[in-house]
Amino acid sequence: MIRFDNLSKRYEGGFEALRNVSFEMDAGEMAFLTGHSGAGKSTLLKLLMLIERPTSGNLLINGKNLNRLAHSKVPFYRRQVGVVFQNHQLLFDRSVFENVALPLQVAGYSPGDIGRRVRAALDSVGLLEREQQNPVALSGGEQQRIGIARAVVHKPKILLADEPTGNLDPQLSAEIMALFKRFQDVGVTVLVASHDINLINRMNMRIMRLNQGQMEEDGISYGGY
Amino acid sequence: MAATSSKARDSGQRGARGKVLSRGDKWRGYRYHHRSTLQSSAVKMLREPLQSLLTVVVIAIALTLPAALYLSVENIRQLSGGVESSAQLSVFVTKGARGPAVEGLGRQLEGLSGVASVTYISADSALEEFKAMSGFGAALQYLDENPLPEAFLVQPLLLNDATRLVTEIRQLKLVDDVQLDMQWLQRLDALLDMGRKLVLALAAALGVGVILVVGNTIRLAIQSRRDEITVVKLVGGTDAYVRRPFLYTGLLFGIFGAVVAAIMLTVLGFWLAGPVDKLAGLYQSQFRVTGLGFGGFISLLLIGGAVGLAGAWLAVGQHLRNIKPS
Repeated sequence: MIRFDNLSKRYEGGFEALRNVSFEMDAGEMAFLTGHSGAGKSTLLKLLMLIERPTSGNLLINGKNLNRLAHSKVPFYRRQVGVVFQNHQLLFDRSVFENVALPLQVAGYSPGDIGRRVRAALDSVGLLEREQQNPVALSGGEQQRIGIARAVVHKPKILLADEPTGNLDPQLSAEIMALFKRFQDVGVTVLVASHDINLINRMNMRIMRLNQGQMEEDGISYGGY
Repeated sequence: MAATSSKARDSGQRGARGKVLSRGDKWRGYRYHHRSTLQSSAVKMLREPLQSLLTVVVIAIALTLPAALYLSVENIRQLSGGVESSAQLSVFVTKGARGPAVEGLGRQLEGLSGVASVTYISADSALEEFKAMSGFGAALQYLDENPLPEAFLVQPLLLNDATRLVTEIRQLKLVDDVQLDMQWLQRLDALLDMGRKLVLALAAALGVGVILVVGNTIRLAIQSRRDEITVVKLVGGTDAYVRRPFLYTGLLFGIFGAVVAAIMLTVLGFWLAGPVDKLAGLYQSQFRVTGLGFGGFISLLLIGGAVGLAGAWLAVGQHLRNIKPS
């Protein structure tokens, strides 16, 4: 599903965020991306969202090379990817419902379809009763779950998360991670960047560790170290 | 996975677990999106009433000035048109010409191209008229003979033909003199031409002004909605989708500006109607000020809308590309 092929990213000014990174993820696989801040986790996710383009190497999604994707096609690619941000990027000038509906509106769904799918997404994160509230009135954990609902409302094949538990206490963080696991269970490919080693070790999943832009370790953890 | 066509995209995206969006669904969604974008654009304008009002009034004034000048030129042209139709050439017949020869001249005049009508005025009837009009009736009685020549009044079809007709008629036999008192009208015509050019120049200059004003307003709107634009781009909003609300806002500004301009022009018309009626009365004219009219109103709306849209397009083209998710 996702294939990084000897990929490097050098920013203007010479900083090399990723160096010859290669890995593959199968459809329906879930993995964690970890490493110190500045190790390249965010850059890797940005490449996957086409916010940044690689300096060299190939990035293949479902066998298609993203390097060759024209600027005008980028929005259509992004509609197949769901993204959860650390600061959740919710808009406080509209209700929870309207926030979650945004990816569907953008893709041109009809109002009836939007209503049905938004409620299904809110239900899956357990916040259906909050749909008419403003997200500013919700707690940090709830806001993050709204962000997840927005990321999955259009049923993407790939779900990316950048430090989704960064501002949450351990119990809420575990809940959020369990939520991601549920999406993996229904076939979504999930990649979560997190520096919360304790939490991700408990998940018993594939962990990729970046260090100074290089893939240092890639394997399954067994809750040990 | 990277989509190459919209059909492949939809089936690729939803084939596994959801139904494919049909063409009808897409069209309904598209229409709904346009309607709700228009609505929310209007609501956003109302949310900042002072700023919006300011922009609308600036646009209205910029549209009113050239439109008022245009209407003035059109009204004066209409007025001069009324005079134009009564423009006549006076053809004086050589003294002592005999009756049949004068009749022959009359037929010749009628035969010229560009002549609408020819009226014969005998020397006697001219004298009677002069006596009645001039107030010299008593003095004229002392004259031995009628000093006035026989004459024809020639009505040209077009004002432009008048000068040519003067030269042609001068060359005819038995013609003593031809008088054309319409030179001031031709000057007025030239002046009106200048007026129309001035309208165009003023409209162009103020049109650019409106584009810049709308552009600036839209630029501020884009800056204040930066977060929203970022998120929309991240969840797969196309450039067209991001652009649309701002284009609608520009369009609405232009149309509202045009409506206010129409109101201003109507008020101006009422305000001028009194003095103009008085002036027309003094000249015993039936002249009435002609307003914008329905066609003019529609044109004003179209121009306002187009200019607003152009301003929005300019701002959007400049500033939206700079907003990238990071």
